[in-house]
Amino acid sequence: MKRVITLPRLWRLTLLLVVLFAFQNCAQDKLTETTDETLNITEYLKENDDYSMFLEILNVTNYASFMNTYGTYTLFVPNNEAVKAYLQNVGASSVKDVPLADLQNMAKLHILDQKINTTDFTDGKIATPSLYGQFLITGATNKNGTSSITVNKDANIVQPNVELGNGIIHVIDHVLRVADKTLAQSIEENPSLSLFTEALKATGWYEKLNHPLVGEEATNLENYQSVLAQTNAVFEEAGFKTLDDLKARYSHLKDPMNPADSLNLFVSYRVMTRLQYMADMAVTPALETKAPLEIISSKLSKDTLLLNEEVFNGVLEKGIVVDRPNSDVTASNGVLHLVKKNFAIKKRLPAPVYFDLCDQPEFRKLTSIFRTTTGGRQDLGKTDFTDITWDGTGVITYYKDPARGGTVGYGWNGDVVEIYRFRDGTVQNIAFKTPVIIKGKYKVWVSYRTNASKTGLVKMFFNGKELSRQFNVQEYGNVDSKVDERVLESQGYKRYTQPFTNRFNCRLLGVIDVETTGRHTISFQSQASFSNQTWLDVVEFRPIDMDQIYPKLNAGTSGFAPIP
Amino acid sequence: MQTKIKILLALIVMSITASSCDDYLDLRPQDGIIREEFWKTKEDVRAAVIGIYSSMLNSPPGVGDLPLSKYLFMYGELRGDMVSPGTNVTEDERDIMNTNILASNSLTSWAAFYRTINYCNTVIDLAPDVINEDPTLTQEQLNKYLSEALAVRGYLYFTLARTFRDVPLKLNASLSDQDNFQLPKNTQAEIFEQVIKDLKQAEEYGVETYGDQASNNGRITKDAINAILTDVYLWTGNYQEALTAADKVVNSGKYSLIQASNNTWFNRVFAVGNSTESIFEFQYTVQNKGPFYTMFLQRPEFIASATVLEDVFGIDYGDAENKDIRGERASLVPGTNQIYKYVGLNNDVRKELESADTHWFVYRYADVLLMKAEALAELGQGEEAVAIIDEIRASRNAIEFTAKTVDVTNKFDIIDYILEERAREFAYEGKRWYDVLRNARKNNYERLQILIDMAMVNAPPDQQQSIVNKLKDPNSHYLPINTYELYSNKALVQNPFYK
Repeated sequence: MKRVITLPRLWRLTLLLVVLFAFQNCAQDKLTETTDETLNITEYLKENDDYSMFLEILNVTNYASFMNTYGTYTLFVPNNEAVKAYLQNVGASSVKDVPLADLQNMAKLHILDQKINTTDFTDGKIATPSLYGQFLITGATNKNGTSSITVNKDANIVQPNVELGNGIIHVIDHVLRVADKTLAQSIEENPSLSLFTEALKATGWYEKLNHPLVGEEATNLENYQSVLAQTNAVFEEAGFKTLDDLKARYSHLKDPMNPADSLNLFVSYRVMTRLQYMADMAVTPALETKAPLEIISSKLSKDTLLLNEEVFNGVLEKGIVVDRPNSDVTASNGVLHLVKKNFAIKKRLPAPVYFDLCDQPEFRKLTSIFRTTTGGRQDLGKTDFTDITWDGTGVITYYKDPARGGTVGYGWNGDVVEIYRFRDGTVQNIAFKTPVIIKGKYKVWVSYRTNASKTGLVKMFFNGKELSRQFNVQEYGNVDSKVDERVLESQGYKRYTQPFTNRFNCRLLGVIDVETTGRHTISFQSQASFSNQTWLDVVEFRPIDMDQIYPKLNAGTSGFAPIP
Repeated sequence: MQTKIKILLALIVMSITASSCDDYLDLRPQDGIIREEFWKTKEDVRAAVIGIYSSMLNSPPGVGDLPLSKYLFMYGELRGDMVSPGTNVTEDERDIMNTNILASNSLTSWAAFYRTINYCNTVIDLAPDVINEDPTLTQEQLNKYLSEALAVRGYLYFTLARTFRDVPLKLNASLSDQDNFQLPKNTQAEIFEQVIKDLKQAEEYGVETYGDQASNNGRITKDAINAILTDVYLWTGNYQEALTAADKVVNSGKYSLIQASNNTWFNRVFAVGNSTESIFEFQYTVQNKGPFYTMFLQRPEFIASATVLEDVFGIDYGDAENKDIRGERASLVPGTNQIYKYVGLNNDVRKELESADTHWFVYRYADVLLMKAEALAELGQGEEAVAIIDEIRASRNAIEFTAKTVDVTNKFDIIDYILEERAREFAYEGKRWYDVLRNARKNNYERLQILIDMAMVNAPPDQQQSIVNKLKDPNSHYLPINTYELYSNKALVQNPFYK
C-alpha cells in the first residue's frame, strides 16, 4: 500500500496524463447549429441536375444569390428541356449567347415577391405581379386526357408546390416569355381583325393602345386596358364590310377623331379600364369602359360569359357571348378578348323603378309565406343574402300579412322588410342592391310602415352619397281629404298606395343623378338606437320629368292601381 | 441464543431477497386485454364483431381523426353540387369543394377506414380458432360473425376504391409491429373483384334477421349485403347481377316505402331511424352521438347550395302547400339553407343537442329501388325503370315541376331522371358525387359531361374554367394519397394527377 502512495513524482504525473488521455476522444461533437435544414431556393436548384440551365440563367443575371436570401418568394422553374426549347426558339446555342437584358427580363418574369400556392390560382391573373411587372395568368388545360395546371397558358406545371426555406417553387415545362407586343400590335397582326384595326386607326385609339408599359408603370393595374375586339366575320354579320359602312352607321359628327363622335364612342366602349381577364370579368358585374360613364355588365351563365344581359322594364335583353377560347390574349399593356356579336352603346331613356325591398331571391324561396294570402314571418341572417348587407350581428325579417289586414297588410304586396332594433351592433347601414336603373335624374321616394315608439330618423344613401332629406319612422301618413295630393307632394309626402292608410307613409328623400346604367346600392342608416321594429316597404325611383304620384301602387297586392 | 437469532436473521434476509415480486416487470397492460387472453369464448367473438360497428360510429379515445360518417359525408358530397361552404368551413374542406386538392390535404387521410378494416381482418383471422376453445360456439354462429366482418370490410374497400381508386388491399390482420406495412396499391378493378368475392361469401354465411329492428338495421343482414352488392355491380357494369341482387332485397318483402305525410315521414325515417325503409344505418345514440349536430347547426361547416331548393326539389311559387316531402325542412331549411336532415326532429322542430342521435344512413330501401332502376335502364328495360321512379315520386309527393316525360327507349334520359331522383331522395346522405361519377365513367367515360356540368353549378366564377379542365382528366376524380401515407409506406405510388 505504502509503495503505491509514495510513488515517485514523475510516475504519478505520468499516470495522471495516461489516465487523462486514455479517456479522451478525438471525434468532434456533432452539434446541430441550425433549427431547420430545409434548403433555400438556389441551394435546392443546385441539388437537382434537372434545373441546372435555369440556375445558370439565374447566375448570369445575378439573381442566384437573391433567390437564396430569406423571404417569401414564388419561383417558376423551367426544367432543362424547357430552357433548351427557349434557346432554340431565340436562336442561341447557349445561355451566354442571349442578350443579358432579355435574360434579366425573362428571369424577373419567373419570380414573384410573395408565396403563391397552386390552391390560390384562379382562371385569371395571380394577384401579385412578377418582378418584371407583368402579371402571370394561371389556369388548367387538358391535353389527351391528362390535365395540368398552366401558367401563361402554355407552360404546364410539372411539379407544383415545392416548399423551401424562403418560398415555394413550381416546376414548369416552358419558359415564360415576356409579352412584348402592345394591344394595338396584337390586334393588327391578327388578319381577321383588320376592320377593327381600321376602326382603331380612324378613331385615334390605335396610338392609345400602342403605348407599352415598362418598369414601375407595369405594376400598376390602373395603367392597363382590356379590349373587346370583334372579327371581320362578326362585323359582316351585322352588315359592316368596310370602314365606310361603319362610318355611315355610327359617325354622326363625321369626325371619328372627336371623342363625342359615335364611332369613337363605338370603339371606346370596347376599351375597358384595368387588366380584366375573363376570370375578372366573371366576378365583376359592371365593367368600366373608356366611353364616358358607360359600363358593360357581365355575368356568367354556366360556362358562358355574357355581356350586357339585363332585364329592362321586365324584358330580357340577350347578352353578347365572349369567345372564350380565343380570348385572354396577354399583351404588354393589357389583354385582348373577342366577342361573337356586334354590340354598341344603347341609348336608353330613364324609366321608373319600383323596388320592393322584399323582392329578394332568398325571400322568394320562403314559399310557405312569401306573398301568400295568410303570410307569416321569417328571420334571415347576413350570410344568407346575395344582395343585402349590413353591419352588426342581427337578423332581418320577411314579414307578410294578409292583404289589407294585420300590421303591414296595406303595404305594396302586403309585405315589408322588418328590422328589429335598427341600431349599431345589431343591424346598421343596411345596404340593398337595386335592380338596373338607367342613367338619368330620379326622385327617390321611400315608403314605410309607421312605428311610433322607440324609433326615429333614418338617413338614406345612394352609392354612398347621402340624400338631402331623412325620414322619420314615427311619422304617420296624411289622410286628411282636405289636403290636396299635389300640395302634399310639394312638401315631399305622398299617398303612395291605393287605398291608402295613415299607418303607412311615403317620403321624398331627394334627387339623385344616376351616372351609369346598372345596378346600384342604396343604404339606410338609423340615427338613434331604435329598440322597436322598423318596417320598410318600397323605394321608388321616378325620373324627374315623370308624374311623381301616379300610377299609385296597389295596397296589399301587386301591380298598380288604376289612374283615376 | 446467538445462533438462533442469526438463523432467524438469515431466514428473514433470505425470504426477502429470494422472493421476487415480478409485478413491476409485467408488460401486460392494466387497462386492456391482450390477445392471448382474448379469443377464448363465443362472447369474445361477439364483442369483437360489435367492436367493428362501434369503430364506425366514432374514433377510439385518443385518436384525432374524424368519425367515419363525416368522411363518408364529405367524400360523397363536397365535390358534388348540393353543398356550399358554411361559416365554419375549414381551408381543407373548401379546397376539396373547389377541386383544389393537394396530397397534403388532411381530409385525404384514409386511416379511419383502414382502422376498421383491421378490426374486420382481426375477426376474420382469429375468430375461427375460437371454435376449438369454446365448444358452445357452433360453426353456423361463427359463420354469421364472419359474414358481418366480411361485409363491413367489403363496404369499406368499396368506398376506398370509389374515392381513391387504387388502394392497398390488406386482407389479414396487423397483429404486431413485425408485420410488413410496405404495401403497394392494388387497382380499382382488383379491389372491386375482392369486394364481390367477400360479399358473396358473406351472403352465404349471412343472417336473415337478428330478431329486433335496431339490430337488423344496425348490423349486417343478407339484405344489407345485397344492397352493397348491387352498388358494386353497378360500378363494375354487371347489370344483370345488380338486378338479381337488388331483387333479392325487394322480394324479401321486409321493406316498404312509408307514405308521405307531414311530420311523421321525416320523423320516422330520419329523426328516429330504423324504419321499414331502412337497410343499414350507423346507430348513433344519445350516449354516442354523431358529428352532425355540430357540423350542420352549431358551427356550420356546410350548408345547402343556393340552387338546391329550386333546382333539385322544385318550388311551386303558386301553392306553398304543394311541395316535395323530401325538400323543405327535411333536407334543408329554405332561406338559411341549413342542412336539416340530421338535426330535425320533425318538419317543424329541431332536436336538442342532448337528443341529437340521428343515424347515418348507409343504405335505404329507396336506394335499392333506384339502383334496381339503374340496372333496368342499362338492360334496356326502361319502362320498368320509370315505373320505379314514379312509385318513389308518388310516395314522396314529388311536385310536377321535377317530373319528366322520358323516352323509355333512351337510356341516357332515364339515367338522368334517376340521377335527379337520387339527388332528391338521398340529399346529404353522401351519395351524390359517387352517383354522378359512377354514371360518368361508364363505357370509358362516355358521359364525362354530366360530371363537369355538376361541377360547374358550384364552381367559383373565377376558377370555373380551371376546374372544368382539371375534371377532364379522370385521374382527378379520385383523391390523392395523403403525404403522410406516402412517407410511411414507400411502396405506394401517387395518383399521377397529383404528382
